[in-house]
Amino acid sequence: MKVTSNWLKEFVDFDLSPEQLADLLTMLGLEMEGMELQGAGMDDVVVALVEEKRQHPNADKLSLCRINNGSEVLDVVCGAQNFKVGDTVVLAQIGAVLPGDFRIKRSKIRGEESCGMLCSEKELGLADESAGIMVLPGGFKLGTPVFEALGLKDIFLEIGLTPNRADCLSVLGVAREIAAKLGVRIKTTYKPVIEGTTAVEDVIGVTVKDADLCPRYAARHITGSRIAPSPAWLVKRLNAVGVRSVNNVVDVTNLVMMELGQPLHAFDCDHLAEQRIVVRRSTEGELFTTLDGQQRTLVAGDLVICDGEQPVALAGIMGGLNSEISDATSSILLESAWFKPSAIRTTSKRLGLHTESSHRFERGTDIDGVTRALDRAASLIVELAGGTVSRGILDIYPVKTEPASIVLRPERANALIGIDLPRAEIVDILRRLEFVVTESDDGSLEVFAPSYRIDIEREIDLVEEIARLNGFDRIPTTMPTAMVVSDRPSAHQRLERVVRDVLVAHGMNEVINFSFTTPDAADKLMLSVDDPRRSVIRLVNPLIDEQSVMRTSLLPGLLETVSRNVCFRSLDLKLFEMRRVYMPIKDAEMPREPIFVTGVLTGQRDREDWSHARAAIDFFDAKGIVENLLELLNIPAVRWVSDTPEQYYHPGKSCSIMAGKERIGSIGEIHPTVQESFGLEKPVYCFELDFEKLVVQSRQKRTISAPSRFPDSTRDIALLVSDGVSAESIVSSVRGVKAQEIEQVEIFDLYCGAGIPEGHKSIAVRIRYRSYDRTLTDEEIAGLHAKVVDNLVNKVKVSIR
Amino acid sequence: MREQLEVLRHEALQAIASASSQDSLQDVRIRFLGRKGELTALMKGLGSLSVEERPVVGQLVNTIRDEIESVLESALSAAREQAKAERLQSEHIDVTLPGRRAQFGTKHPITQVIEEVSDIFAGLGFSVAEGPEIEHDWYNFEALNFPPEHPARDMQDTFFVDNSLLLRTHTSPVQIRTMLKKKPPLRIIAPGTVYRCDSDATHSPMFHQIEGLMVDKSVSFSDLKGILTIFTNQLFGQKTGVRLRPSFFPFTEPSAEVDIACVICGGKGCRVCKQSGWLEILGAGMVDPEVYRHVNYDADNISGFAFGMGIERIAMLKYGISDMRLLFENDVRFLRQF
Ligand SMILES: [Zn+2]
Repeated sequence: MKVTSNWLKEFVDFDLSPEQLADLLTMLGLEMEGMELQGAGMDDVVVALVEEKRQHPNADKLSLCRINNGSEVLDVVCGAQNFKVGDTVVLAQIGAVLPGDFRIKRSKIRGEESCGMLCSEKELGLADESAGIMVLPGGFKLGTPVFEALGLKDIFLEIGLTPNRADCLSVLGVAREIAAKLGVRIKTTYKPVIEGTTAVEDVIGVTVKDADLCPRYAARHITGSRIAPSPAWLVKRLNAVGVRSVNNVVDVTNLVMMELGQPLHAFDCDHLAEQRIVVRRSTEGELFTTLDGQQRTLVAGDLVICDGEQPVALAGIMGGLNSEISDATSSILLESAWFKPSAIRTTSKRLGLHTESSHRFERGTDIDGVTRALDRAASLIVELAGGTVSRGILDIYPVKTEPASIVLRPERANALIGIDLPRAEIVDILRRLEFVVTESDDGSLEVFAPSYRIDIEREIDLVEEIARLNGFDRIPTTMPTAMVVSDRPSAHQRLERVVRDVLVAHGMNEVINFSFTTPDAADKLMLSVDDPRRSVIRLVNPLIDEQSVMRTSLLPGLLETVSRNVCFRSLDLKLFEMRRVYMPIKDAEMPREPIFVTGVLTGQRDREDWSHARAAIDFFDAKGIVENLLELLNIPAVRWVSDTPEQYYHPGKSCSIMAGKERIGSIGEIHPTVQESFGLEKPVYCFELDFEKLVVQSRQKRTISAPSRFPDSTRDIALLVSDGVSAESIVSSVRGVKAQEIEQVEIFDLYCGAGIPEGHKSIAVRIRYRSYDRTLTDEEIAGLHAKVVDNLVNKVKVSIR
Repeated sequence: MREQLEVLRHEALQAIASASSQDSLQDVRIRFLGRKGELTALMKGLGSLSVEERPVVGQLVNTIRDEIESVLESALSAAREQAKAERLQSEHIDVTLPGRRAQFGTKHPITQVIEEVSDIFAGLGFSVAEGPEIEHDWYNFEALNFPPEHPARDMQDTFFVDNSLLLRTHTSPVQIRTMLKKKPPLRIIAPGTVYRCDSDATHSPMFHQIEGLMVDKSVSFSDLKGILTIFTNQLFGQKTGVRLRPSFFPFTEPSAEVDIACVICGGKGCRVCKQSGWLEILGAGMVDPEVYRHVNYDADNISGFAFGMGIERIAMLKYGISDMRLLFENDVRFLRQF
């Protein structure tokens, strides 16, 4: 919404610097989105008189002038021809800076001194093109800054309006806000319309068939006007608020809309069949060509303005080509109405047709301002285009809208805002806003809002007005007095942080990918046809197809992220994401949004290091991280079960992660085909954990035992086992001895190759024996160890090397 | 015997004096004081002495042993010091070689800001609440006083799932869900992911917000100002100027935009703050009575405020990021800086 300071001053007197004005409006809730000063810093550009003009001795097209600026006479070289001695002109003196950062300096032009420049309108930024310099009418005091002399000093303001402030979609509306804040009155200066003798009813008839959508319809008739281009002041004024000039009549309707917020429409009366206006709902499939030349198909229920035969305007949105004001028009029907906001909005939205007019109607215009706008426009049209206004207004307004009574409790207002304004001050604030206030005996106030404040319906709306006008900056800063103890974070919330902390401590970088993904993500993961992750939630209106379904797995996004990073030569990656996925539930309206923790690792294990060689990341790097995580989450009975858990893993290098009988996740090397489909050359290792299950499995309680104070004794065994024997079975065989003295069992070497028979591997196990209550004797240790070895040889079928 | 002892003493002291290392000093100890050493050997001769002489010579043997022991010990300790000094002299490393660093990871900047903001509000007595991202129109709009077909809905371009489900456009529906579950007093914040169909350098179709809600018997707008002042001061620094100016949200009234003095230029005006000296960081206001009606609260006996802020905006200000898209590209060269 654009306004200018000078236009505002036609309605309200104020003396504010541009910054003060911007600040005042901003603090009233009219946010300043842009401000442009016309004529600012141009005080060195002054009114001057040409006293002498002669040919430049060295250049045919230049003249030497003697210019009087009121205090001295200066030599100025000029290239324009359109002026003569005695003309009043515009002199940019030494030091002036013209638009485009053009600084005027003392100079020599073809050997002749020039102390300034005579300016054209273009050079002053007042026109896009100009022929020759600007020649002013006489009568100005020499030396006066020209922008001041011409009244062109102005501030162009661009205001970002919130949707509730329909009343501020006009110069008058913004002026009212300034007046209320400053405590001054709005000036209303319109002259009454001079009417002819022909009664409007004798020229045209209006029927409103659907008064529910059009509670008020008013029209005036003007005859004998001449359609022509608008005068310069009107064009400029419209341009200043972002409206293009069309012709004098259309421009007047736009000017009045900008000024008063009431959209108007002018019809060529001679093109209205039967000289009639009918306001009705459209019928299904009705065709109508709007002013922009587009044919529109209407649905039943769109509000249309018709003549005796067919639609001539889409009510409140756009007029029709068939009744447009043209150069041949001489009889004009001016429409000013109040349409139901939701009706205008529905049609405008459906047709994708958003106009200055529909913008105002759908937010709500001033029903009491309908005829004032009509009068203002009629007077202006006659002034600019000639003609005669027919007598009277056709005003179809069967049920007059009465302002609603709102009860305001001043103490409630003070308590909600946290201030202590006396009642009288509250009354004053409301009256400055043109509310009608009566004081009741019980201390409350009865308030009626003006018709243009359609946003004011309830007590709370008045509370806001009081806070706003009194000033948000005058509200104190306090702390709530009530003592509140916040809840302890839930297990879910606490563990979310633990998981992130642990993964970050293990060198992983957290990523955040979009929740929507491409529809073929499931195919890229080679998910089986009946995989539940194939059933996805689709967006009705995605921005692009690649973001059209809600993800059911974090993996595709992470693999894309790996791929993108590899493109930038970041080859060593440990990434994780901990976010929601979206799983539709059959026959349920709302989907589930479980959180998953998914990690991907690729490249080299460590940083580049001068002291040792680097090695490629493998399965056990990923597993180690998960093992630590599960241990820190205190999840008991974790097992790694090789069962080809997912289609997207290498079948021989993947497993399910179990906590007791619950499958809490999976881990593995990404299947080479999947890896290729994401454009990756190096193996990627992945783990996926269902966070909700981690929360369920995580034990809060930890049992801590005091360390033994007695010495330990370790024994190593080298075992030769066939490939099929798992490390887990060896460790659990040792543990199976169930002696308290077996403190720790560790696999510290794994070897296959030279010296080991085909299909076998060598595993070295270290067992640490220690007792809690005594130093173990050599005999005791030997006895235990023999049992361990016995168990391994007989039950796991290993041989001791 | 006495002479032999004297000679032995003399020889021992000389041997100690001429020994050049800890090893040779140890040899001296073995030669003279060891189990098979010369002094031990001499002592075997004690038996052949007279009863009167025996204690006297025995005494002498002890004196000589003590003397040798003590001289030997100080020579040894001198030799140790010497060796240490030599080692310290000769050993050195290039301390400029890089250390052996375990690689550390990073939390995403969005997560870091959410955690920081949540921690500040935890200190102010606010608990964390959550809600679904795929949300009912009713929670996302209607209960928040956005009537169907109301222009206020234009402020938020919505992704739709079907007629009644959509991707939530703000974290405000969590207010509704919380109030339907609990009665006042309430102090919650709700961090979360939200969606709007919009994508450019300053808009992302997915972004994050933190919602706050406090409802109690007599909460005022001035309390809102107090809580938000403490919050912005803790987040951006102790003396950050805060400005509330009137605005509009369907679910609060009075509503405010909250600006902080520009953290880039300190309020003098720069490109980031569009020369205004202020940066908009959150929206807030007193909960609209219409919202209470939807959650069956008695609007006349309670009051409260709500606020909401964009996490990306805060992250961008805190870390000087100019393009929001960087936050979702997940380039590790970017992520590793946090
Ligand atoms: Zn700034």
